[in-house]
Amino acid sequence: MENIYLPNVVEIAKVREETQDTKTFAVKFREQEQWQAFRHRPGQFVEVSVFGVGEAPFCVASRRDGSETFEITVRRTGAVTEALHGLGPGAHLGIRGPLGNGFPIEAVKGRDILFVGGGIGLPPLRPLIWEVLANRSEFGRVTVLYGARTPADLVYKDELEQWRGREDMEFMVTVDVADEHWTGNVGVVGSLFSKAQIEAKKTAAFVCGPPIMIRFAMRDLLTLGLGEESIYTTLERHMRCGVGKCNHCLIGDKYVCTDGPVFSYREIKMMMEPG
Amino acid sequence: MHRPPAYAVPKPSISAWVERLVQVATVIAPTAAHGGDVVYDVVERAEQVAWGYESSLTPLKRFLFPQVDPLLRWSTTSSDGLAVEPVADETERIFLAVRPCDIAGVLFLDRVFGRDPEDGYYLSRRQRTALIALTCARPGENCFCVCADAGPFLQAGYDLQLTELENDYLVEVGSEKGAALVELGGPLLAPAAEALREARAELEREAEGRFQEHKSYFAAALRKVTFDQVPEGLWEEMAERCLECGGCAFVCPTCTCFLTADWPAEDSGERRRLWDSCLYESYALEASGHNPRAARRDRLKARFFHKLSYQFAKPLGQHGCVGCGRCVAACMGGNDMSAVTARIRHGAM
Repeated sequence: MENIYLPNVVEIAKVREETQDTKTFAVKFREQEQWQAFRHRPGQFVEVSVFGVGEAPFCVASRRDGSETFEITVRRTGAVTEALHGLGPGAHLGIRGPLGNGFPIEAVKGRDILFVGGGIGLPPLRPLIWEVLANRSEFGRVTVLYGARTPADLVYKDELEQWRGREDMEFMVTVDVADEHWTGNVGVVGSLFSKAQIEAKKTAAFVCGPPIMIRFAMRDLLTLGLGEESIYTTLERHMRCGVGKCNHCLIGDKYVCTDGPVFSYREIKMMMEPG
Repeated sequence: MHRPPAYAVPKPSISAWVERLVQVATVIAPTAAHGGDVVYDVVERAEQVAWGYESSLTPLKRFLFPQVDPLLRWSTTSSDGLAVEPVADETERIFLAVRPCDIAGVLFLDRVFGRDPEDGYYLSRRQRTALIALTCARPGENCFCVCADAGPFLQAGYDLQLTELENDYLVEVGSEKGAALVELGGPLLAPAAEALREARAELEREAEGRFQEHKSYFAAALRKVTFDQVPEGLWEEMAERCLECGGCAFVCPTCTCFLTADWPAEDSGERRRLWDSCLYESYALEASGHNPRAARRDRLKARFFHKLSYQFAKPLGQHGCVGCGRCVAACMGGNDMSAVTARIRHGAM
């Protein structure tokens, strides 16, 4: 019987500063066999252990490609994230996963794809964005809308520039509060909907961000005419065990960790305690 | 109707059988504790077993799913920098003279932890555990197992089931594991005479007629909770009476919420699993400060949805209550299962 609570030992390979409070960690398995078995898909998550501090869930923020590492992007906000931020290359972590259902990529092939990311909600979308771009001909129009509190809070700045430069996709960014150098959009991410070309009936949307942003973005997309089953998000809960045992992430009878974390708007609407 | 094989052991001989049981396994049985309470605990001698007890203060779950349970140990002194090893418990256990509701509680935990993906810590202990029930001829004043299909006599699920008769204990055999324990008793146990089996059946009929004080209106509660028909105001009223002590969860044979925490030492440490309660304010709190169940009303609603709804009863084979009555004694706010189902049925306090 597999031990569902026993993490594999991994090593931090690289650390990249994203913002003042956010870092991206590239993580490498010690055992090649374990890396081969770690078949992560966009939208899945891992339970990360900093031994001595504890365990916390993070989305896998990178797409599976030729690399020997995967990435998590972590904002410093609690005990485990604080400890993670203090670690550098060579430090050991524990990993359980990949966990959760992931995004339904097959179901949206052939459609226009709209990504809506708010703040630290871009990391879960990032592997899916790259997955869609890697199979670009299988999708219609691709649009990425990204909002952050301030220009200093934008993550993956190099990749944002790549997306801005591509002709096979549309990329727009906005901030809630500008600084003196900012010449772009100011406003919540929903304010970009009217500027983007969205053909509601052809579009599948993937929305990630803080709960309040998700709520408003979903409402706006429904108003634009997107179908309830064409809007997906990842729900956030404190998934302590990640395998449907500890019950902390329950919403009604749905386990965010095993039934999700990706849900369609229709599924969320049926849940007993949305929020 | 299928009848299990049955043996009889004369009352004066039962201690000799128990002495044989303690030779082969860690025997956990009702024992007298301070203040007149009875609790299930490890016994080393037959005379420690409190045969005539009503019910144990706490259920059996702490032996299979301990309140603080080491899951793994890590060490940073290994040659490759970090080694992580699981902690194993291979103790052979016999639960002796435990109440049918508590056996039903264990069978419920079997389904919770046996659901995919399987929880090896629980299952490995459980595989090494034998269940010897003691039927209830005189249910306690808080008991309502008869409403929950969990007693006062069990139809199945035990390895052995004992019934106290006038001069003997009748021993019904429910499994091969049970048969082996009968064999261990050798000549102390003999095949039961038909008259003893009839006496047991009569006792069961009498026992079912003795439930009076507490009832649990599961049928109405299950329907209303399943279809979200409980007035929100009712949860609010219950919330005002909840002290968030967690007592209901900790004494409940079917509650299994847990969290894990690390105990670091200098070059090593231990990760332990700890019981949690879904009524605690911090239960769903996230590192960002966002709390999706900040209102106590919502936590009570979630608790009883988990215990009573068809959505959970279906995958778990049963609703999450065995009628042991412990929450009746534990809850100072009157939010026990019996009272809550009554309020839900009547739609008011």
